[in-house]
Amino acid sequence: MKYILKVFSATFMSLILSFSIANASSGVFKVSHDLGFGKDTNLDAITKGRLFQVVIKTQNRLVRPDMNGVPSPSLSTDWSANSDATEWTFNLRKGIYFHDGSAFDAPDVKYSLMRAKDPDIGSPVRKSLNVVEDIEVVDQHTVKMKLSTSFADFPLLLTDYRLRMIPEGSGDTIGQTGVGTGPFMVDKFDPEGTTILKANPEYWEGAPGVAEVHVIAIPDAQARIQALLTGQIDMNRYVPFNQKKIFDSNSKFTTTVIPTGNWRGVVMRTDTAPFDNPKVRKAFRLAVDRQELVDLVMGGAATVSCDTPVMPSDQYRLQMDCPQNISKAKNLLREAGFPNGIELTVYPATLEPTWPTIAEVVQQQVAKAGIKVNIEMVPSKGYWNEVWMKKPVSMTRWNQRPADTILHEAYHSGAKWNESYFKNADFDKNLADARSELDFNKRKKAYQNAQMTLWEQSGTMIPYHVSRLVVTSSKVKNLDAVDHFSIQWHKVKVD
Amino acid sequence: MENNLITEDKQKNKLEKAFEILKTMASKPSGLIGLTIVLFHVVLALISPYIVPYDYKAISPNTMLLAPSAEHWFGTDSLGRDVFTRTILGGRTALTVTFFGSLIALLWGGLLGIFCGLVGGKIDDVVMRVVDAFLSIPWILAMLLIVSLLGTSTEVLIPALGFFYGKGIVRVARAATHDVIAKDFIVSARARGHSNMSIIWNEIIPNVRDAILVEGAMRWSWMLLGFSSLSFLGFGVSPPTPDWGLMISNARGLMSFAYWSVIAPIVGLSSLIIGINLTADAFAKALGIDRSTKAPV
Repeated sequence: MKYILKVFSATFMSLILSFSIANASSGVFKVSHDLGFGKDTNLDAITKGRLFQVVIKTQNRLVRPDMNGVPSPSLSTDWSANSDATEWTFNLRKGIYFHDGSAFDAPDVKYSLMRAKDPDIGSPVRKSLNVVEDIEVVDQHTVKMKLSTSFADFPLLLTDYRLRMIPEGSGDTIGQTGVGTGPFMVDKFDPEGTTILKANPEYWEGAPGVAEVHVIAIPDAQARIQALLTGQIDMNRYVPFNQKKIFDSNSKFTTTVIPTGNWRGVVMRTDTAPFDNPKVRKAFRLAVDRQELVDLVMGGAATVSCDTPVMPSDQYRLQMDCPQNISKAKNLLREAGFPNGIELTVYPATLEPTWPTIAEVVQQQVAKAGIKVNIEMVPSKGYWNEVWMKKPVSMTRWNQRPADTILHEAYHSGAKWNESYFKNADFDKNLADARSELDFNKRKKAYQNAQMTLWEQSGTMIPYHVSRLVVTSSKVKNLDAVDHFSIQWHKVKVD
Repeated sequence: MENNLITEDKQKNKLEKAFEILKTMASKPSGLIGLTIVLFHVVLALISPYIVPYDYKAISPNTMLLAPSAEHWFGTDSLGRDVFTRTILGGRTALTVTFFGSLIALLWGGLLGIFCGLVGGKIDDVVMRVVDAFLSIPWILAMLLIVSLLGTSTEVLIPALGFFYGKGIVRVARAATHDVIAKDFIVSARARGHSNMSIIWNEIIPNVRDAILVEGAMRWSWMLLGFSSLSFLGFGVSPPTPDWGLMISNARGLMSFAYWSVIAPIVGLSSLIIGINLTADAFAKALGIDRSTKAPV
């Protein structure tokens, strides 16, 4: 009997031990970032220089997009609205703790979201969040958000990747600590070197699959590909499609193509001559052959866009055709007082690997309409501070956002990241009307009217929404095949 | 009449001397190979616009990354452009920029070095310390700063490269001048009351010219490499101008499956650098300059 008990105890202990080992976080997951914000890089999600490769792993949102982009519970378990959608009540998850040990509760929600509206901080997300007038702490685990207007899609707005929950009063230090409730905790923040994240064993969705995440600064796109090839990093989400063949036949890597709402573009400042004339802007946009750009730059893996930033799968996207029209472009230039065409300089950097190629192809395409494009390469480091929104023409790239968010953030006359300095009263009114409209069809019509205004007037040429070629080391397992901001990072494992 | 005869004799002597140097250079296999390669590249650069089979700018999704064939001898690149066309036009860009850059380097570096060597004293000290200071700055960082501020046009690149590659020539020219200023004919010229400019022009330049020219030839090949490095980093000439460094940079990621798009510019660049180096060595030997003991400073 004693012997049987001994054997039973030994077996039981072994099972417990194996179970613990199987569930312990192990291995290191190495990723990179492009250091695009240079010295301004920080861990405060609502600022311009946020290092999103870190904050999306250390902090949670109230609401997150599920694998299909639909708002789903995160730190908020459920929500409801009053009859005219001007008040939204969110119930919060209980028993959640920040990395610093403090409990997550309603005052943290109020602090995190109201802080994003603070004009002194000047967050790029402030414009879209302006609809929130006040946040009432109903009890420790319930908040009521009072809006300035009806907003039927309000939970969608809260899925924005920057609206992360941080501890109340942590605003002064969050840029360096990155404290949140997420699956990983910041162990060492080194924006120009390697930032090290440790697994949060108390994570509310379960302990992460990896013990550490290393986020390594590699500004050059080709260097990032070499880093992947040599094993310095385990994942590259910006591999150009013309390099897919390198990885397709290599068993050490896994390639995944993910349709996204991310877009690339060429931005003309509408407050700067000659682009202050809408005819010049439209002439440039009409002179571009978007399908050829898709084929040459993306190897066909993108969806043509007619200068709308709204993603192809979004319910509010305006569907239209916009083939290259050289004669109309020439006519518009003539009417604008430029019968001999115009000359402009564009400034690509390799931080987005496709920018130089986009610039070269556009250069050839628009030349047919009498538009001479000079290309001047600029350093990747600090591109967003030195070139973007500074030069008359610059290159841009955006990650996907819901229709309302991206239209507000990139084009509303009061938006901080209104990169083309676009100001149009009709456009702003359509956005306001759409938000307050409870009837879906009328709301859709208003959003589409706004997009039509962009087609006629905007300063941003958006040729396509990209499909993303994500290449990972074959050691990486359980990585969701979705956009960056919907991935459940705690599930990732590295063999 | 007598003066005309003397001038003609001088020109004849110069031509004969140049021919002799060329003959000496070509008498060694390395010199002959170097001269042949450089001549090949120069001729190709001169006639390339008239013999290219395609428009170097023409992009097309239908001809992306085609392997070498009878239609496209060196294949096509990722934008469907003919690699042969871009390779031979790329040599023209590299030779033009670096030839004029070297000329500027030779002129300012040579003249300033000779002047410092001749006048000596505090002026020499100050100028050489400034040159030393510039020599301590990594040229690529300085060039990146310049092109970031002023752009990447050839009007910026040529003088900037000329300036940075001329710094070393200052030291060589100064050292060569020190070797000759103690000689009797300089002392005589000074005793005759000749000005510094006259002494530089009539007495020193003819005696240090060979050393400076050899140094200039070497600097040319280094400049070629430097210019291509800048282009590789994206800060050389602007697209769509065909350029070897830019072509290598654009195609390096495709090397494992579209090797043709990167091999041609690599061969073009390395052969020209080897050719110039061999020619410069042969040139030095033909002039009796031993570069193994008089390495560039």
